[in-house]
Amino acid sequence: MSLIGNICSSLCPELNGETKNRESVRAIDASIRFPLLSLIKSAIVWLIIATIFGLIASIKLHSPSFFGDSSILTYGKVEPVFWNALIYGWLFNAGITCAVFLLARLGGTTAGLGIFLTIAITLWNVAVGFGIIGILAGEQLPYQWLEFPAFVGPVLFTAFVGIGLWCMLTFRARIHRTSFASQWWIIAALFSFAWIYTTAQMMLVCFPAQGAIQTLVNSWYVENVFGLFIAPFTFATILYLLPKTLGAPVVGHKYNTFLAFWSWLLFASFSGVASMAHGPIPVWVSSVGVIASFGLLLPATTLSIQFLSSLFQRFSVIWDSATARFLLAGCIAFVVLMYLKVFGALRSSQGVTQFSVYDSGLWYLAFFGFAGMVFTGASLFILPRLLNKELPSSTLVDLQFWAQSMGVIIVSIGLISGGEQQGALLNQSTADTLVIVKTMRSSFFMITTGLTFILVGAVANAITYFWLLISDRSESEQSVSLIKEAPELEYNAS
Amino acid sequence: MNRGPFIFLGVFIIVVASWTYVVYKPNQNVGRLTAIIDEEQGGILPRGIQGAASHGREVYQELGCIACHTQQVRVATGTDIERGWGVRQSVARDYIGETRALIGNSRIGPDLANIGDRRPNANWHLLHFYNPQITSEGSNMPAYAFLFETREIVGEPSVDALDIPEPFAPENGYEVIPSREAHSLASYMASLKIDYDLIEAPKSNEIMAEELAFALENAAQ
Repeated sequence: MSLIGNICSSLCPELNGETKNRESVRAIDASIRFPLLSLIKSAIVWLIIATIFGLIASIKLHSPSFFGDSSILTYGKVEPVFWNALIYGWLFNAGITCAVFLLARLGGTTAGLGIFLTIAITLWNVAVGFGIIGILAGEQLPYQWLEFPAFVGPVLFTAFVGIGLWCMLTFRARIHRTSFASQWWIIAALFSFAWIYTTAQMMLVCFPAQGAIQTLVNSWYVENVFGLFIAPFTFATILYLLPKTLGAPVVGHKYNTFLAFWSWLLFASFSGVASMAHGPIPVWVSSVGVIASFGLLLPATTLSIQFLSSLFQRFSVIWDSATARFLLAGCIAFVVLMYLKVFGALRSSQGVTQFSVYDSGLWYLAFFGFAGMVFTGASLFILPRLLNKELPSSTLVDLQFWAQSMGVIIVSIGLISGGEQQGALLNQSTADTLVIVKTMRSSFFMITTGLTFILVGAVANAITYFWLLISDRSESEQSVSLIKEAPELEYNAS
Repeated sequence: MNRGPFIFLGVFIIVVASWTYVVYKPNQNVGRLTAIIDEEQGGILPRGIQGAASHGREVYQELGCIACHTQQVRVATGTDIERGWGVRQSVARDYIGETRALIGNSRIGPDLANIGDRRPNANWHLLHFYNPQITSEGSNMPAYAFLFETREIVGEPSVDALDIPEPFAPENGYEVIPSREAHSLASYMASLKIDYDLIEAPKSNEIMAEELAFALENAAQ
């Protein structure tokens, strides 16, 4: 028993709930309250904006006359706005929320320079806003997820350096000499993003490489945004929140975390080019991508076994805690995603799905299902602690959970199975493209339906946030004892 | 175990390795190609685009046409050749003139690498942009009517006016005039042709197999 206790407290030192600890944790939370609230607020607002643009784009796919007269809202502009708002708006803010919270909490000491962080975050969000206006105004670049006009890149980079510096300083100031797995993942993600973003900006925007190489740089960047930036943040969050919400250490954390960490980074960084099969680039490049994708089986299996067995070990607790429920959904999405990703990279699968909507189906699953679910769960964990209030309505949280889950399921099925159908017609038959569009209509309707669900979830999320922010503290919430760094608060919350 | 500098170094090595192998090496291989001169095929290859077509290219980029249209032909897989979307594989040299490559990776609509060959008529493209239902009924391509001006006919009808078939035509006394953007985009479409051979670009599976057999024979001797 003492062994488990030791592991438990070494993984998350705040779990033992002594008064002294509790006070220091409160002080840590207080030191990052303002920047965290602005991050969460930005994430919520960007999610709503992104979903609305995604909805417009998906409606245009089956009813092209929707907003048909508007040059600003033409499909070719709305679609990149959706993805950019989703990635640089929602996921970036939500991911940094978790990073900041985790680094401060795991560092064990109050974080300084909150103003500096807030300025960097504001700069980032303003730059994303200008980027989106730029796309709508017709200044977009033809690179996937890098459509923002050229002037936005340096501003985003500056803001990111500011955020990254704050994170590094907080990590440096930690009181424990060793570091936690969550911290590795976050640090790795921050380093990687700085590099992949600079490289992509240099080779695509500032000094463009020759035509065909640009697509190579682009697909390398796209895969790395997920593999080296968003996924590591998500792993960090899961590894931190699992013991917190379940009250038990992560299964096998002593042995597997190190291996999974390095093998994930290695294989994920090479895997992006698998989708370039048969394009105007040397064939061996995409073969490297296929091999690396298969390498991902190792960390993906390790991590999913770790996550799922931790969750199933304490299955009875999951439905009592809003956060644990979101984690479960996120982990299941991760398993499905990795299966589809690894086997979808094979030449024979590429021969069917290349250029179809299959890939965007995987991104929906990765962003809304995997990362989105985990980040949302984390924000429901962080908010009550930051504000010392309980979640105002468990019905809203339930609504959000089910709406978001249903949305992800409907959109992913629509795009992934629809993409296979579309790809088979596109790549293996000579059916007319008009016929293909006709068979795809049901898939397009499914995207609209799914995104409507997701929008409902996003609005519920926003209501929870603002309700929590403006409501008065009840009597029990005014006492210090509400902030118990044990799972109790979590169980009561929903 | 994992200290900050160690992670920094490890991640640095991994990212640099993947960049070197996946981006830098191909760039050395096929990233410094030059145009070739072939008098038999009409001078410098690949042919560049100029004037209105070049402006049309900017319009194509602005409107995000790349969201649904690729500009690459594959021979080793897919049915691009059977569909008549091209006659040979697209290779890196085809794109050396493109500062912003519009190769694309999504085909909700057809590939456009060779559209100028399939649809040489600029008027067809103008009608298609004005309302895709005129030329391709059932298409989910958005109409780009905002690239056209519908105006009252004063005196003689304009020679530039589009000849639009009945259910789509504007009401009597009105005419539809394509803007400069619409004209440019149409000439860009007409300019998209891969009508030249490059030595490194195989024409189809059959020819590739022949070449391979020939090479193997030579190697055996």
